[in-house]
Amino acid sequence: MDADQVLRLFIQEAEGRLDQLGQLLLQLELTGKDETLIRSVFRELHTLKGSSAVAGLDEVSRIAHELETLVDTLRVGGRPVTADVIDTLLRGADQLRTAVQTAQDGGSRRAGVPPTNGNGVHPQRTAAKPPPPANGIATAPINSPPSTGSLPTPRRSGESPATVIKVPLERLEELTRLVGETASAHLRMGRMLKDTFKIDPAACTEFNELSRLLNDLQDRATRTQMIPVSTITDQLHRAVRDLSRAQGKSIRWEVDGVDTELDRGVLHQLSDSLMHLVRNAVDHGVELPAERQAAGKPAMASIRLHAMQLGSEVIIAITDDGRGIDVGRVTDQADRRGIDTEGMTEQEILGLTFQPGLSTTPFVTDVSGRGVGLDVVRTNVESAHGRVEVRSEPGAGTEFRIVVPITTAVLRCLLVEAGGQSFALPFHRVQVSQAHDSTEVVHAEGRPVIRVDGSTIPIRGLAETLGLSEGRPGTGPLVVLADTSRRHAFQVDRLIGQRDVVIKALSPLLPHLPAVAGASVEPDGSILVVLDPPGLIQRARQADQGRGRPRPVDAPQPGRRSILVVDDALTIRELQRSILERAGFAVRVATDGVNAMSNLAEAPSDLVLTDIEMPNMDGFALTEAIREHPTLANIPVLILSSRSSAADRQRGLDAGADGYIQKSGFDEASLLAAVNRLLGARA
Amino acid sequence: MMTAEALLLPVGDDLYALPMDWVRVVVASPAVTRLVTAPPIVSGLFNLRGQIVALLDTAALLGIGTTGSAAFAVVVDGPHGPVGLATTGLPQRCVLDVPAGESELGGTDGLFQVGDGIAVRLDPGVLLTPERIGGQETRPDLASIAVG
Repeated sequence: MDADQVLRLFIQEAEGRLDQLGQLLLQLELTGKDETLIRSVFRELHTLKGSSAVAGLDEVSRIAHELETLVDTLRVGGRPVTADVIDTLLRGADQLRTAVQTAQDGGSRRAGVPPTNGNGVHPQRTAAKPPPPANGIATAPINSPPSTGSLPTPRRSGESPATVIKVPLERLEELTRLVGETASAHLRMGRMLKDTFKIDPAACTEFNELSRLLNDLQDRATRTQMIPVSTITDQLHRAVRDLSRAQGKSIRWEVDGVDTELDRGVLHQLSDSLMHLVRNAVDHGVELPAERQAAGKPAMASIRLHAMQLGSEVIIAITDDGRGIDVGRVTDQADRRGIDTEGMTEQEILGLTFQPGLSTTPFVTDVSGRGVGLDVVRTNVESAHGRVEVRSEPGAGTEFRIVVPITTAVLRCLLVEAGGQSFALPFHRVQVSQAHDSTEVVHAEGRPVIRVDGSTIPIRGLAETLGLSEGRPGTGPLVVLADTSRRHAFQVDRLIGQRDVVIKALSPLLPHLPAVAGASVEPDGSILVVLDPPGLIQRARQADQGRGRPRPVDAPQPGRRSILVVDDALTIRELQRSILERAGFAVRVATDGVNAMSNLAEAPSDLVLTDIEMPNMDGFALTEAIREHPTLANIPVLILSSRSSAADRQRGLDAGADGYIQKSGFDEASLLAAVNRLLGARA
Repeated sequence: MMTAEALLLPVGDDLYALPMDWVRVVVASPAVTRLVTAPPIVSGLFNLRGQIVALLDTAALLGIGTTGSAAFAVVVDGPHGPVGLATTGLPQRCVLDVPAGESELGGTDGLFQVGDGIAVRLDPGVLLTPERIGGQETRPDLASIAVG
């Protein structure tokens, strides 16, 4: 093995070890004198020191040795683990990363490093000549500022080099692209079989087998580019830590669901936005300790990142328990910019914070408050085919929720025709597609509407919405599309069918088109435009408003059934609430089992929808408590959990639950179907 | 310094010269799919051997009206990937060796005499930028959302 190979190996190893070191240091700060953690930190530094010495990187070895010496004083109890010590160690870790990067660039490699022997080590270094002794690292300042503005892509902790190989990203992208092209060519071949050879491909065993294999291959290829959200959370944690210390704030960083995976490219597109939201939360979401205490809140604030998969989408929420967004201030700013906020709901006014030039804070700092940022966040999220939403409660906190597709490569789509052109609609956004029935279409507020699941949904022609034709009432089928909070029906000329569509991004030269998700090459070589339902709904709503109509409202049913939603995660609670309220249910929420029992004691609900993992009383215990209660025992309980094992499901049923839905397979339709089934069964 | 070899693009009564270095291929009568909600500058999308390529209305891009239906698409290997420029007649190769003055249109860099006519040389590096093409972006405008 030559010296370059040793260096490459070291750089590969160092990347993982530095990631691990950063995580350990942040954990150590939280736990204080945790001997196991201190030993782990020491071990990482010691290994880095030794490996870098073998690779001939004296500077890396020197820094690692100084840090190791400092950690040794912690290990033997010579000094306490203080925030200042952690500061020094983190800055040292930054220096190590910089030194390794420099070595990778070829800048700091010691001149005249001799080649290694056959075992991959420098012969004269096998005696483990120690680096120079430490000069007291606590007094030798390491002045590199913490680099929290950019996000490298660390590997997942715990992965062993023996089971992980590094592959250039472009190779994976090429592989995925070629698999997609193969699938497209396969479809074209099916078309040719039918048209040229008069063979029905669906009746051809070999063709079907190939289809199955290609589907599997496509699935596996897509997964090669999926990475967990945890790959970026350490940097966010570090940002919270450094910024809160700089501002004299006390903040606890919490993460949940960070094993949730999504497309690497999508996560990469989101990383800067997440960093911005986190820094925003620290800078002007969270109050100073004294202010919090004066408001009756704990001095230590919390900022939480919660990731979860819901159907084919991933939601990443950044939640703080700070002061919340001042809606009045946003309204004032909007008014000054000539934006008519008359008639806007509070939620819509909060949405204005994503507009350029509008800020959520009265203060301009070097971190935030300049009125730039949230609009960039929105632009970045939209470029990943996602959307960003905000909820805020004065004095209680703010949650920014980013919703993106897991992957943008292949989507099951409903194909429709409108205005003489075919379009694909991502299937997970299609709630209902049905033939037009004039008896079901009624008029309300000057426009046609349809009732679906107890809600009133406006109808608009798809061709009209897309500017392909003037609005004329037709008799074509209706397709109801939904995003996380709204539904809209679109009338099309005809339904063509459904199938997987390999979506390709449009040229980066083109402007962002909110109603268009991408395009695909059809088996006959023509181009199929794939529409983006949230953008389409937004466009239809804009058009409705442009005609001076009141905003569409999903009206609840009179005498509606009540549901108690129990989940400690604000994001999940609010998502379920919005889905169920839109479907006409009266919804109450509880944050854990104890809170739920208290709510039920005040007034029973027709159904309880609960998570499992919650503080104080979990979902299993809640279900058992309901079953044991003399007056509540007959309330249906539906569990919605991220736990997917058969044992958990069985435990839920044993506790007395009537249904069990996994969050990963959850979508609006499946939730409503389960709720309606349980309520119907008990009615 | 641009090459003197160019492809002449007929657009209505005008001739535009595209330096040969930028040209990938010429497609006759491309089957164009309309890209809904796109600005008028985008004529649509077409399939170039499995690759989805946007076809731009050359006249609209230059701000001189509209090209109308595209008889040919000249695929340009631009800095942001391939993109098609619509022409109303068959593009032909030529050599630009007789300057005829300065051009006024943005995205062009000079006039050249070609036979009895004048060709305006295109500068794809300036002409084919997201800012120029997205200038008529249709992103939802807050004011329009709020009104009504």
